[in-house]
Amino acid sequence: MIDCDVHNDWATAEVLLPYLEPTFRDYFVRGERPGPRGAFPHAHRPWLHPEDFRRQDIKPQTQEEHYTIMKERLLDRYGHDVAVLTGEEALEASTLANPFYASALVRAYNDWLVDFWLPKDRRFKGSIIVAPQDPQGAAAEIRRLGGHPDMIQVLMSSGSIRPYGDRFYHPIWEAAAEVGLPVAIHLGGQGGINHSPIGSGPTTYFWETHALLLQPGMTHVGSVIANGIFEKWPGLYFIVIECGVAWLPALLWRLDADFKALRKETPWLKRLPSEYARDHIRFSTQPLENPKNREHLWAILEAIDGQNTLLFASEYPHWDFDDPTKIPIPPDWRENVFDRNARQVYTRLPQQAPAPVDGAASP
Amino acid sequence: MAQGKSFIVGRAEEIAAGERKLVTVDGKQIGIFHVDGRFYAFLNYCPHSGGALCEGPLTGTTLPADDFQFVYGRAGQVLRCAWHGWEFDIATGEFLLDPQIRARRYPVAVNAAGEIVLQI
Repeated sequence: MIDCDVHNDWATAEVLLPYLEPTFRDYFVRGERPGPRGAFPHAHRPWLHPEDFRRQDIKPQTQEEHYTIMKERLLDRYGHDVAVLTGEEALEASTLANPFYASALVRAYNDWLVDFWLPKDRRFKGSIIVAPQDPQGAAAEIRRLGGHPDMIQVLMSSGSIRPYGDRFYHPIWEAAAEVGLPVAIHLGGQGGINHSPIGSGPTTYFWETHALLLQPGMTHVGSVIANGIFEKWPGLYFIVIECGVAWLPALLWRLDADFKALRKETPWLKRLPSEYARDHIRFSTQPLENPKNREHLWAILEAIDGQNTLLFASEYPHWDFDDPTKIPIPPDWRENVFDRNARQVYTRLPQQAPAPVDGAASP
Repeated sequence: MAQGKSFIVGRAEEIAAGERKLVTVDGKQIGIFHVDGRFYAFLNYCPHSGGALCEGPLTGTTLPADDFQFVYGRAGQVLRCAWHGWEFDIATGEFLLDPQIRARRYPVAVNAAGEIVLQI
């Protein structure tokens, strides 16, 4: 089983200190931060989770416990073959107005990931987190770490200052194509300079806002297709993590219909938007929609060829964790969704799942 | 296109190059187009969703490009439906995005007397 969204948290953001260059270490030590000692510098969301967003039964105290509890409660319990680490607050560097500080913070995080997390467990694979408000810095970071064999994707927050197909971001796509890594987005960055994570203005409650996590996902999917990312870099995959799934058929039907009418605006596109999506965009399952009647969900997933386009993700250790033994995936899709589809996009993973070991748990 | 009944629907000089005339023949509304000395006849019914195909602009469009370029071409050769904007090649009736989809056309010609003869 490959889990495409596992959060490797820090006990304190001060783990980054040894990795920060001196200029920004001073900012970090003496500068303003949105919380007490140990807080990570970022602009916070205007929505505060009323119970904190970690599962209440996961309470690591030390840095080491962040790993040992994860090992016990996730990796060993469910029989993970691969856990794709997606960081935690580091993604929020995208909210800072100062692109140089933001890039310095994610560079420090990536180095800490390489030093602390990746060597800990053979099941760990890393994401190169970048600060998208600094496309040149992000591209340099992708080239700096893109050759690391355990780094399997580039990752940015779903909150952004503009949609990711925009030419402003093309240096990021170009660098990812050059090092041969897919580009992923993960829910986050909903504050600071990313001023419009929710259409029509700010919602009121945390749960209400969380249910609308699909909104930036929709915008980015339309943008990367319309702006010809997959014509310009035909080997690239775009992976959408924690933005929901069931909205996708409706969006693709609409994109196809409007493109048929106004294709002249984007003469670089050679195929229908839905065809680019099918071949180049993948979606993580968590938090998978879960209607009373599963057949309703499955009809929708079939419309996007979910058997071949969905990637399992648990989002351990968050409050909206999906248990792999419980999520409503059609039984005959499980082998693809839990393993094969991820191996197709994460080309640095072995192309075959390891042979099952007697007694190992299976999803 | 099968041969059918012939109808005189006007004189060639009535329709200047790049212009059109809408006629109703045999209960059907048909657009007669004059493009570079040739005449074309289309049913005023778009295969997409029944829109007023023959009332849309006869225009050009952006040609397929490999980068972020806008190369204008096919000037006056593209019939763009008045409703949703689907683009059709005036000479073949093919939808530019999918040649399997074609607008309904009819044979049309100018006879020795200068009359436009439409076959339905």
